[in-house]
Amino acid sequence: MKGLGLCVSSQTPLVRFSQSHEEIVRKYSGPNQLLDLSQMLEGEDYEFTAGGVTRMVFPLVKHMVREGISESPHWISLNPIGPEKITASGITLHHIKLETERMGGYGYTKESIWKALHGIQKEPVDSLLWRDEFVDFTYYNRLCSELAMQLDKENDFDLFYVHDFQQLPMAHMLHTLKPKIFRWHIPFDESLVPEMWKQSLSSYFNAYDVVVVSCGKYLESLRRFGYKGKAHHIYPYINQDIYKKPSRSEVEEFNHKFGISEGDRVVLVVARLDPIKGQDGAIKGFARVARDFPDAKLVVAGNGSFSSSKQGIGLSKAERWLGRLRELVRTLKMEDRMVFTGHLTHKELQVAYERCELTVLPSILEGFGLVVIESWFYKKPAIVSSMAGVAELVKHGENGFLFDPRDPNDLADKLSIMLSNQNLASVMGENGFKVSGQCYLERGVKSETEMMLNLVGGPG
Amino acid sequence: MTPYELLYQIALFAVTMAAVAVVAKIFSLIVGGMFRTWAPRVRAEFQKIVSITIWVIGLLFAIQQLGLRADFLLLLIGLFGVIVVIAIRDSLENIGAKYFSDVYVPFKLGDVVQVGNTSGKVIEINPITTVLLTRDSKLVSVPNSLFLREKVINKTQYAWEEIVIPITLSSVVDLPKFESEVLKSCNRMRRYLDKRFPPIMTVKRRNKRSAELVLTIMIKDPSKRNEITEELNQKISEIEDKMRRRK
Repeated sequence: MKGLGLCVSSQTPLVRFSQSHEEIVRKYSGPNQLLDLSQMLEGEDYEFTAGGVTRMVFPLVKHMVREGISESPHWISLNPIGPEKITASGITLHHIKLETERMGGYGYTKESIWKALHGIQKEPVDSLLWRDEFVDFTYYNRLCSELAMQLDKENDFDLFYVHDFQQLPMAHMLHTLKPKIFRWHIPFDESLVPEMWKQSLSSYFNAYDVVVVSCGKYLESLRRFGYKGKAHHIYPYINQDIYKKPSRSEVEEFNHKFGISEGDRVVLVVARLDPIKGQDGAIKGFARVARDFPDAKLVVAGNGSFSSSKQGIGLSKAERWLGRLRELVRTLKMEDRMVFTGHLTHKELQVAYERCELTVLPSILEGFGLVVIESWFYKKPAIVSSMAGVAELVKHGENGFLFDPRDPNDLADKLSIMLSNQNLASVMGENGFKVSGQCYLERGVKSETEMMLNLVGGPG
Repeated sequence: MTPYELLYQIALFAVTMAAVAVVAKIFSLIVGGMFRTWAPRVRAEFQKIVSITIWVIGLLFAIQQLGLRADFLLLLIGLFGVIVVIAIRDSLENIGAKYFSDVYVPFKLGDVVQVGNTSGKVIEINPITTVLLTRDSKLVSVPNSLFLREKVINKTQYAWEEIVIPITLSSVVDLPKFESEVLKSCNRMRRYLDKRFPPIMTVKRRNKRSAELVLTIMIKDPSKRNEITEELNQKISEIEDKMRRRK
C-alpha cells in the first residue's frame, strides 16, 4: 500500500530558531538547498518547542514515516524566525511568517479566545468576531489553508490533520473534499463558549470529518455543543522510554544548582508560567502547611510558551506572571521555602521528578496535564486539579488526590495528608505508575493511526 | 503586392488591433466603474462581453482596412450564432437562468426550497437543472428556467437573513489580503448585520486565472437587503480594483 499523504498543521512549530533564515542559509547551504534539521545544532541554531507539538505530534508523525504508514508528510506551522522550509526525520516543515502589523491582532484574538474558553476572560468578548483583530486571525488561517492547498496540488494528500484551537477555521477554508481531522488540545466546556460565538464555532467544528479531544468529558461537551461528525477522545501520550532514572551525581548537581538541601522534601509543580496554570494557588496552599513541614520545599519549574517567547508571538505573559508569583512569595514570607527553576532541560526535568516526593498540578483549567503521567513514571503521587483532563485517570485516594484549584485550603489538606503519610504516598505513586500506561506513546500512536486509516479507508 | 505594401498592410493591421485593445480596455474600465453596485461576478461577466464585442468589431474593421471583404466572415459568424441558439435553445434558457439565479435567487446547496409544487433539499445545481432531494427520499430534477418563472420559497432557517455575494477574483490579486479587506468592510457595516453570524468567505472553485469566492453575510433587517448588497458590491469592486492597481 502506498503511504498516507499527510498534511499536518499546527500553530506551534516543532522548533524555534535563534537565527534568521538568511543567517541559517549562509551558515549551512545555498539559497535553493533544502536544509535538514540534523545539519543544525540544537541549542545553538534551534530548540525544540516545549509542549504537545514536540512530545506528541512529532513522535506520531515520525512513527508514521518510520513504519511506512505515511510517505513524506508535510507540516505547516507559524514560525516568524528561521527558514521557510526544512526537513526533519523525513517530514517537510513549512513555516508561515505573519507580518508584524498582523501579529498583534492575531495574538490578541487567540489570547481572547483562549481566555474565554478557559473561563478567565475579564473583558466582554461578544464582539470579538467582528473586530479587525479577528480579521488578522482569519488572515493567518487563510495563509495556512492556501499553503495547504498549494501543497495538496503538488503532493495529492490523503488527509489533513489540523491541531490547535487557533487553526479551527482551517477546514472551512480548505477547498477540498479530502478528509480533515481536528485535534482540540485545550479544555472544552460548551457552557464557556460565549453566546455570540456559538454559530461560528459550531460551523467551524462541523467542517471537520473527525474531531479528537483529550478526555471523555470534553467529548460529551462537544456533543452537547452540537458537533455532528465523528469524534474521539484519545488521551495525550508521551514516549515513556525517554524518562530514565538519573544518577546520584545528577541529583546532587540539581540540588546544588537550585539550592535544595539533601534533606529537603520537594513538592514539585511543573507547568508553563501562566495564570491559568494556578501556580499562585499552589504557593498559597503550600504556605498553609509550610509551618507543619519545615523541611518541605515547593519547587516551581517551567517558563513561558511559544506565544510568550521572543522567537514566537512575543506576548510577555510569562514574565508578568513570574513577577506576580515572586511578589506573592514575598507577601507570604516564603522566600526560603520556594524555588523557581525557570526552564528545565529534559535531563533536569527527569532529576526533578526523581528528586521530588510528590507533584501538584494546580491548573485552574487544563486540557490534559501530562506532567501527572511523567510524575507517575517515577512512581511519584500527584495532587491533581479536578479541572484538568487527566483528573479522569485519578482515582481519588488510590493513585492521587483531586482538589479544587480555586481553594488553597483544599490543596493544603491534601498536601498535609500526603506529606504526613509517606507510606500512603508511596502506594499512590505505585498505583499511578500502573495507570500511566494509558498514556504510553505506542498506545496513542496506535489509536491515532487507526483513526486516520479508517477515515481514508485504509486498513485500520 | 510589393514587399513594401505587404509590410504596410501588416503594420496597419497591427496598429488597428493595438487600438482595439486600448479601446476594449477603456470600455471595460468604464463599464466596471458604471456598474460598481452590481454583483462582482455579473460585473466581471458583463465587462468580458463588452470586451469580446469590441474585439470582434475591431477584427472585422481591421480586415476591412486590409481591403478584404469582411461580409462573408460576418455572415458566417451570424449563421453560426443562429444555428447554435436554435440547437440549444432550451439548454441556453436553463444556463441563463442558472447564471441569474446564482446571483439573484436566494438559495444555495443545502437549503430547503419549494418551487411550484415541489419541495426538497438542494443537493446539486448544475448548468441545466437543480436537483432536489424530497422528504420521501426522491430525487427531483427541476429545470433552472423554472426558478425564474415560478415562485421560489426558501424554507431554510435564517434564509431570509442570508446574503450570498459571488465574487470572481483574478489570481493576480492576493486572496488572503483581499479577504481581509472585504471582511473589514463588512465589520464596518456590523450594525446592520446579525451579530451571531460574522461574515465568511469561501472558495468555491479556482483555476490558474481566477478564484470563485462566495461572501456570506447575515442581515438584521430584510428591508435593508438591497442597500447592503449594493454597498458591499461596490466596496468589493473598489477593493479589487485597488489591489489590482497595486499589482
